[in-house]
Amino acid sequence: MSLLEEVLVHLHDVAIGYDVPLIEDINIEVIAGDVIAVLGPSGIGKTTLLRTIAGLVRPLEGDVELAVPSRGGLGYIPQRLGLIGNLTVRDNVEMGTRVSLSRWHLPFFPVPGKQRRIAERAMEDLDILTLADQPVRILSGGQQRRVATAKTVAQRPKLVLADEFLGELDDDNVEIVMETVRQAIDAQNSAMIMVEHHEELAKEVANRIWRIKDGRLIEELVR
Amino acid sequence: MNRRLSLTVVVVLGLALLTFLNLVGDWGRLTGGMSNLGVFFRESLWPPDWSVLEPQSYPVCEARFEFTCSVAWLGMVETIKIAFVATVIGFVVALPLSVMAASNLSPFEIAVPTRILLAAMRSLPSIIWAVLFMIIFDMGTLAGICAMSFYTVGYLGKLQFESMEGIKNAPLEAAKAMGMTRTEKAWLVAIPESANQLLSHLLFMFEYNVRHGTVIGLVGAGGIGLYLNTYLKLAQYDKVVALLVVVFLVVVVIDFVSMVLRSAVTEEGDVERPSWSSLFLPAAISSTLHPTPMLKDASLKESE
Ligand SMILES: Nc1ncnc2c1ncn2[C@@H]1O[C@H](COP(=O)(O)OP(=O)(O)OP(=O)(O)O)[C@@H](O)[C@H]1O
Ligand SMILES: [Mg+2]
Repeated sequence: MSLLEEVLVHLHDVAIGYDVPLIEDINIEVIAGDVIAVLGPSGIGKTTLLRTIAGLVRPLEGDVELAVPSRGGLGYIPQRLGLIGNLTVRDNVEMGTRVSLSRWHLPFFPVPGKQRRIAERAMEDLDILTLADQPVRILSGGQQRRVATAKTVAQRPKLVLADEFLGELDDDNVEIVMETVRQAIDAQNSAMIMVEHHEELAKEVANRIWRIKDGRLIEELVR
Repeated sequence: MNRRLSLTVVVVLGLALLTFLNLVGDWGRLTGGMSNLGVFFRESLWPPDWSVLEPQSYPVCEARFEFTCSVAWLGMVETIKIAFVATVIGFVVALPLSVMAASNLSPFEIAVPTRILLAAMRSLPSIIWAVLFMIIFDMGTLAGICAMSFYTVGYLGKLQFESMEGIKNAPLEAAKAMGMTRTEKAWLVAIPESANQLLSHLLFMFEYNVRHGTVIGLVGAGGIGLYLNTYLKLAQYDKVVALLVVVFLVVVVIDFVSMVLRSAVTEEGDVERPSWSSLFLPAAISSTLHPTPMLKDASLKESE
């Protein structure tokens, strides 16, 4: 590993969970450029791990250090996607670009032209530009996944946390989505942690695997 | 779990019955009462005096349609105007307050005082607000609007912050993780996510305010209540009944219009077209026959 590597996330002796710990003794670093797949059975704490890194749940023990900007540095695609069903595809995707603006750019006003174009580009890449003016609630599951991806791509975060965001997509779309995300990550020199149920797919797209088993996080090298 | 639920229902119903029996000590009074009511109904209330729909003798009516000079029309139009302005003012003030009161959007130290403020605005009955504002502004429409706006803020604020707290967690978590400000979370996530319910509450509040215009008018704050008050004082109960029928019909119409408006923002296929029964029955009754999409959503959320 090079000396210039950029550490984006550092978990030091961390235990996560709610009342009782789900995973203990987590010691990990995430380096810019990493694509990490998290594997493990249902209910083991994969989502909880992402939420802890995102700062939505406090760790039971240890510290989570993030070296990304607090505004806009982190992109999160929750398991349930977290889109706003009543708003259009465009509104949802442009929301991703908001956090690259000053906090004083009040949300009552539209985003400037530059952000608009970034959002448009992301929609184009994910093949949802034709749906731009549809409310998200009427879209199919796979289309909604692409909207959520476009939103995060348009955000240009340093760290992407994605919770099973490839589910419901057919093979062609998995390829489109992964290709777009990877380009976005490379362009920003970012990293991504993704929860993925399909082991072969995980090994195909990720350069690191975190397997969660018996309350421990075990790193498996892929390449 | 189910057994515990049915036990709770039985206990609550039993308690209510016992309390009721305890509250009403003297059942003997009931015997003469019913026949008195019958006399009152026959002699004073029925039939309604529809002269309230005819133009007043003074000032001379110059309008194209004569009924627009009637007591019922003039009073109703003023009541609707007051209710409209007060509902809009109340909504605009209540929206930021409800964001401050929602525990998923604001910290404890802000949410709790805001809730107390909203509760205080609700706990004074509208008629007391009307009296207070009459003291400040004298009798009239301004006092009516202020009083109505005040309790509208109290009620709408509560209904709205509860809707905002009821939104799904995922959109809010995504927004938090991204580092959005509270204004952004409120405007881009909480408000659009709860839009159907916010609209529903807004329309309900308008309807409520039209109905309540009758009460507020009683203390001289303008609108149809002013006429009701006059007729009550003069013991012209048949005219009171006629005006109340007019109020009822207007409320039914508003209810129907609000249902059509609501169906515009709800998910396609979620809303049945307004049915005939819902046109003629008040909301409370028709909604048990035809559950509104709002109720469906709520039950979906619980099962999620
Ligand atoms: N907010 C919460 N409060 C308390 N317990 C929770 C909470 N959220 C999740 N849990 C519990 O924590 C455990 C792990 O949940 P988590 O969502 O992290 O699992 P997961 O590995 O993502 O599973 P899946 O693959 O099914 O998504 C579960 O037993 C769940 O019931
Ligand atoms: Mg999960």
